[in-house]
Amino acid sequence: MELSDSELVKKSQAGETSAFQELVSRYHQKVFMVILGLLRNREDALDVAQETFFRAFRKINSFQGGSSFYTWIYRIAVNMSIDAQRRQKRNPLDFRESMDDVMEAQNQVAKDPFADVHDKELREKLTVAINDLTPDHKAVIVLRTIEGLSYKDIGEILGCSEGTVMSRLHYARKKLQDKLRAFL
Amino acid sequence: MNTCETIRESIGSWLDGELSPSASEAVRLHLAACSDCSVARQQLEKLQLVVKDELVTQAASIDFMPFWRGVQQRINRKRAWHEDLFEWSRGFLTAPRIAWAVPALIVVLLALFSLDSYLPGRGVRDNFASVESIDAHGRSVALLREDQTKTTVIWLYQDQEGENETAEEASKSGPTF
Repeated sequence: MELSDSELVKKSQAGETSAFQELVSRYHQKVFMVILGLLRNREDALDVAQETFFRAFRKINSFQGGSSFYTWIYRIAVNMSIDAQRRQKRNPLDFRESMDDVMEAQNQVAKDPFADVHDKELREKLTVAINDLTPDHKAVIVLRTIEGLSYKDIGEILGCSEGTVMSRLHYARKKLQDKLRAFL
Repeated sequence: MNTCETIRESIGSWLDGELSPSASEAVRLHLAACSDCSVARQQLEKLQLVVKDELVTQAASIDFMPFWRGVQQRINRKRAWHEDLFEWSRGFLTAPRIAWAVPALIVVLLALFSLDSYLPGRGVRDNFASVESIDAHGRSVALLREDQTKTTVIWLYQDQEGENETAEEASKSGPTF
């Protein structure tokens, strides 16, 4: 029988690394997606995702279970991504290179050799458009799109109200739509 | 009546299932009747699909075992003291805490200064003004302090009389020489 997240958390708090490993296996891809959505750099996202789980492991005893584990781990991931983003901004040249890496990686994973130019261009424009969003707007878009989290959960993760989440989502989507109108 | 403008503001929340039943119904009815807003809805749906597709494609290529080994390495690695200190300070020195700490520090300092008069040896001060002066080579500095009104007057002046006195003394001493 599969254990619930809270049971695995309790076992992790008791020092069972295998229970924590199970939690990592459940959430590593989603956490990675959230971080990648915010950082737009595969290598940085991997590094920050691993650091996120490491930090969660170190602080697992402080997790009281007041919120769900995924809300907690996403909160750590978003905070760490925002920190990493600040560092990226201080080094814009690396950032430019990282965007190129993402685009290259996307081209490599494309399965259809006749993947149309329109789609490729859309992805390129999307990357640029997401990068132009503020960290707050990026975070709501990514959390909502990937996990389909409720506004309440997103508000809990980002430390803001549901109304703020709704408003940020609206403006973030509007900005993306405006920039990608020709491709949608 | 709902205009296209207000409906378009709600399409995202409607797709997310975050509207109240009545608001949701209003959006649904409007979309059924308005082709422009239906296009806006399709654009929004496509946008969400493209964003998700891009991230999912990237995440699918992440293998668990190498990822876990990376986490494990971090868990097993003994950290240097400054890394622990940095991590602790990151958790402790958050922006809201710093924002509170600055005015709190000012209040504490003001309180300490106001306690100054109650400290032993400093408690009772007379309220008479005091004058101190320093005299050097004919140039003088005088300080006038008055505790009650916390007034300090600094007075800089050149002692011309002194110079004259010496001159007079010199002239007086002339004949004796």
